[in-house]
Amino acid sequence: MMVKPEPVRVVVLGGGTAGWMTAAGLAKLLPDLADVQLVESEDIGIVGVGEATLPHIRAFVERLGIDEAAFMKATHATYKLGIDFRDFGRIGESYIHPFGSFGESVAGVGFHHWWLELQRQGLAGDLGDYSLAVAAARANRFAPPTQDQTLASTYGYAYQFDATLFGPFMREFGMAHGVERHEGIVTSVERDGESGDVAALIMEDGRRIEGDLFVDCSGFRSLLLGGEMAEEWEDWTHWLPCDRAAAMPCTHAEADIRPYTIATAMPAGWRWQIPLQHRIGNGYVFSSAHLSEDEACEAIRAAAEGEPLADPRILRFRPGRRKRSWSRNVIGVGLSSGFLEPLESTSIYLAQMAITYLIELFPGDGGINPKDRDEFNRLVDIEYDRVRDFLILHYHATTRDDSDFWNHVRTMEVPDSLSGKLELWRNAGRVETYSDGLFYDASWIAVYVGQGMLPERHDARTALVDPDRIAAALQRLQGEIGRSVSAMPRHLDYLKGEAARLAAIP
Amino acid sequence: MSEARKPLDSVVIVGAGQVGVTAAIAIRRALPACAVIVIAETSDPRDFADHAASAMPFSNRLLARLGIDETQIIARAGGSHRLVQRFFGWGGSGSHGALAYGAAGLDGLSAFGRDWGGGSRSVESRPMPTSLSEVLADAGRFGVAEQGERTPLAQVEYGLRWQTPAFHALLVNLAQQLGVTYRSDPVSQVDRDTSGNVAGVTLASGEKVEADLCLDCSGVSRKLASKVAGQPFVSWQRFLHDRTVMIAPPGQGMLALEDRLSLTARGWLSEFAGRDGLQAMLGVADGVSPEEARASLGVEPVGTIEVTSGRLADAWTGNVIALGDAAAQFEPLGYFHLDLAHRMLDLLLEMLPGKIIAPVERTEFNRRAGLMMDGVRDVLAFHYAAPSAQAVFEPVEQPGSVAAMLDQFTRRGRLPFADEQPLTGATMQSLLRALGFAAGTPPQHHSGTGGPAAAARQAFEARARAALQAAPPYPEWIASQLR
Repeated sequence: MMVKPEPVRVVVLGGGTAGWMTAAGLAKLLPDLADVQLVESEDIGIVGVGEATLPHIRAFVERLGIDEAAFMKATHATYKLGIDFRDFGRIGESYIHPFGSFGESVAGVGFHHWWLELQRQGLAGDLGDYSLAVAAARANRFAPPTQDQTLASTYGYAYQFDATLFGPFMREFGMAHGVERHEGIVTSVERDGESGDVAALIMEDGRRIEGDLFVDCSGFRSLLLGGEMAEEWEDWTHWLPCDRAAAMPCTHAEADIRPYTIATAMPAGWRWQIPLQHRIGNGYVFSSAHLSEDEACEAIRAAAEGEPLADPRILRFRPGRRKRSWSRNVIGVGLSSGFLEPLESTSIYLAQMAITYLIELFPGDGGINPKDRDEFNRLVDIEYDRVRDFLILHYHATTRDDSDFWNHVRTMEVPDSLSGKLELWRNAGRVETYSDGLFYDASWIAVYVGQGMLPERHDARTALVDPDRIAAALQRLQGEIGRSVSAMPRHLDYLKGEAARLAAIP
Repeated sequence: MSEARKPLDSVVIVGAGQVGVTAAIAIRRALPACAVIVIAETSDPRDFADHAASAMPFSNRLLARLGIDETQIIARAGGSHRLVQRFFGWGGSGSHGALAYGAAGLDGLSAFGRDWGGGSRSVESRPMPTSLSEVLADAGRFGVAEQGERTPLAQVEYGLRWQTPAFHALLVNLAQQLGVTYRSDPVSQVDRDTSGNVAGVTLASGEKVEADLCLDCSGVSRKLASKVAGQPFVSWQRFLHDRTVMIAPPGQGMLALEDRLSLTARGWLSEFAGRDGLQAMLGVADGVSPEEARASLGVEPVGTIEVTSGRLADAWTGNVIALGDAAAQFEPLGYFHLDLAHRMLDLLLEMLPGKIIAPVERTEFNRRAGLMMDGVRDVLAFHYAAPSAQAVFEPVEQPGSVAAMLDQFTRRGRLPFADEQPLTGATMQSLLRALGFAAGTPPQHHSGTGGPAAAARQAFEARARAALQAAPPYPEWIASQLR
C-alpha cells in the first residue's frame, strides 16, 4: 500500500491567465499532492495575454476534463486555423502559416522540394494551395479535422478567445476544485534564514500565507523570481526590438468571421486582428525606440476596421527570459519567467508548457530535488529558445527597407542557433530537425517560403522526375483540397450550428 | 530562384556485406542514373552489422521501402519474427522481464499530430499489464497481416530474423537487378583530388574508380574512413568496457517468437532462435577466465571476438560517410548494429547530398547521426547500470544522459524525451523494467484516479483478446507461408 504523502503547500502569486491556469491545473491533476492557494488583488489589472492560441491549448482543456463547448462559450471563442502574415517579407505579399502541413513527402523527398522544382519551372501555384488548412482559412470555412491518415487529418485548430474571460473561467474551475483564493496585496516576502527559501507571503493586512512551493505568476513584475530571488534576466531586445503594444477592441466590420488571425507588418512592428464571437481584437506591437506610444495609438485607431469599443491601451514588455525559471522553491510561470511577443500566439502555450513540466517534476516527499529543478530549467530553456529563433526569422527574412525598424531587423546579426538553420536552408533547402519544443518543418517552411526566403538549391531527386508528372500530382492534391474545402461549412455557419459554443450570436 | 542540385553521378561503396549492398540498393533506388559500385573487402568477425541475423522494427519499414520483400525473407532466407526479447536474471536471480516492441510510435498519429507535436514529449510510466506482442509471444500465436489489412495484428511490431548468407544473396540479387556494379578485388589505394577530398579509389587490379561520394561500409577496418584526416575515433571504454564475446556452435533450428538475454554469474548470455539454428553467445564478464567462460557456455566455442566500443566523432567527413561498424562499434547486446546502420542510411537518404556537398548539411547529418550513435551507447550502458549486472561486471562510469534518465525513471517514472533514440516510449520503458529497474510513481498517479487506468486496462484486454483470436499458432502460419 502506498503511503499518501503530505500535500505540498503551493502558493500561486497572481491571478492572471498564468496564475489561474497553474492553480487549476495543479488542483485538478494533483489533488492529493498539492494543496493550492492563490493570492490576487482586484486592484492589480491583468495583461490578459494572448487572444490567439495554439492547438496545444486543446490538450490542456481536455486534460482538465473541461467541456470544449462550455469553454468556448465562456471565452467567446472562435476557431483558428493559422495566422495570415501580411507585408512581412515584402509590402503587398502575404502568406498563411497554418496549423498543418503542405502536401506530403514523395519517394522520401519532402514536399517542399518538389514544390520548389515545379515552381522553378513556373508550373506550381502558391505553396499555400497545397495545404488544406490554408485553403480552408482563405475560404473562411471550418470543420473539425479527422484523426485518421486522410487529407482531413493534415491540420489542427486552436481558438481565438477573449483572454480577459479565460482567466476568470479558469478561476471558477480552480475554485471548484479546491483552490483557496486570497484577496489582497503582498507587501513583503519572508525567507527562511537557513535555506534561503521563500517561507511566506505577508499581506498588506498582516495575513501570512505560508507555503512549500511558490509559483510566481505576478506577470512582468516577477515579484518572487526576479525580485526576491534576483534571477538574472537574459535580454533579447536586440533581436526582438518590439517592447510595447497598443491594444484596442472594435466591432466586427464584416458579416463573416475569419477562422484565422491576421498579423500585418507595420513600419515599427506589426499589428494583430483577432476575430472573437463578439468583437475583433486589434493591437499594434511596436518598438518604442522607433515609435512613440501616442503615434502607435493613432496608428491602431486608423487601422482598425470596425467601430472602436474602447480607447487604445498601452502594454509594456521586454523580450527575454530568466536565466533560470525555477530557483530554490520559486517557479516562474508565464510572464514572470519570460516573454516573447505574441507574433506566433505562443504566450499561453509557454505558460501551459511550464505547468505541464511542473506537474511532471512536482516535488515528492523529500522536498525539491535539485535534479528535477535542473531538468525543469533545461526543458523551459529549450522551449523559449526555439520559439525565440522562430520569431526572429519573421523579422529577419525580409526585403523591407522602408523604415529604421525594418532596416535594423533585416541587417542584424542573428543568434548562432538560428544562423546555422538559415545556412542549412539556403544551401540545401533543409530544415534542422528536432522533436522537443515548438514549430517543426512545416512551420519553418511556411515562413521561409512565405517571406520570400527561398533556398538556393533543393533536392537533386526532384529534377529526375518528369515535371508533368509532378505537376499532375500537385494538381490532384489541389483538386482534392478544393473539394474538401467546398464540403466544409463557412466558419460562421459552423459556429451558428453549435449553439452550446455560442455566448454572443455573431 | 531555387535550383535543383546536380545529382551525384557516382558513388563508391567499400564493403560488400549486407550494410554495403543495402546502401547500394538504396542509392540506386533514389538516383537511378547514378553509377554505384560496391567493392568487396575482407570482413572481420567484429563487423556485427554485416553479420547480423536480425534487426528491429525500423528495418522492416526501410527494407520494404527499398523493395526487399518480407515474404521473400520468410520464404527464401529462413525468416522469422521476434515479438519480444526476454530477460532473465537481470532483476535479481530468478527474475524475468521482456522488451516488447509495439510502442505506438508517431506512425499512429494523424499527419497534423506528426507535424505539430510540441509540448512535453516525455513518457510517463503507466502500469501497463503487458504489450500485445508479449501476449502473442506468450501464446505462441502470430501471423503478419496482409498489407493494408485492418486486423488486430496490424499494429503489432516485431523484429525480423533471417539466415545471413541467404538474406545477403537476396540483397545481392536485387542490387544486380538494379544495375549496381560489383568488384571483387579490394581497394589498394585511395585517390585524392586537389582539395583533399576522396576522388576515387584504385583497386588491386589497377582499375581506377571515380566517386562523388564514398560510403565506408567496410566495418571496423574502416578502409576509407581511416585514411581521411579528421575522423577521430571516440572511445566509449569509460562507459562500456572491452568485452570478450564467445560464440557457441549453432544449435537446433527453432521457431520461436522470442529471443533471450540472460544475466549469468559469468556474463550475459544471448540466445537467438534462428530457424536454421539456435545461436548462443556469451559476453564474458570482466575477470572471468576463458575456462570458466567456456564452462558457462557449455560447449566449445566456435569463435571468440574481442570488442572495443566507440564511434567516429563525425561519421561524415569530406565526401566519405561511414555506415555500420565503420561508424560505431560495440558489443552484440541486443539487435542494435543493423538497426543503427539502417537508421543512418535512412538519414542519408533523407539528406541525400548533391554532387557538391554543402558543409552545413554534413554538420547536420553528423549532429543527428551522433545522437543516434550515442543513443545506442546509452541503451547498452543501461544494461551495465542494472543493479544485478553491477554484481557481475566491473563497475563502469555512466554517461550523464544515462544517469539522468535512470534518476527520472526510478524516482518519477518519467522518461525524458530525446531525439534519434533506438528505443523510445513504451519500448524503452519495457527495457528498463526488464533490466530490473523499478519505475517510480509519477506525481499524477499519487492522486488516485483509478478511472482512466482501469478503462485503459479494459481496452487493452479487449485488444489482446481480439489479437489472440486473429492470430494463428505461429508454426502453422510460417508453414502456410512456405507452401
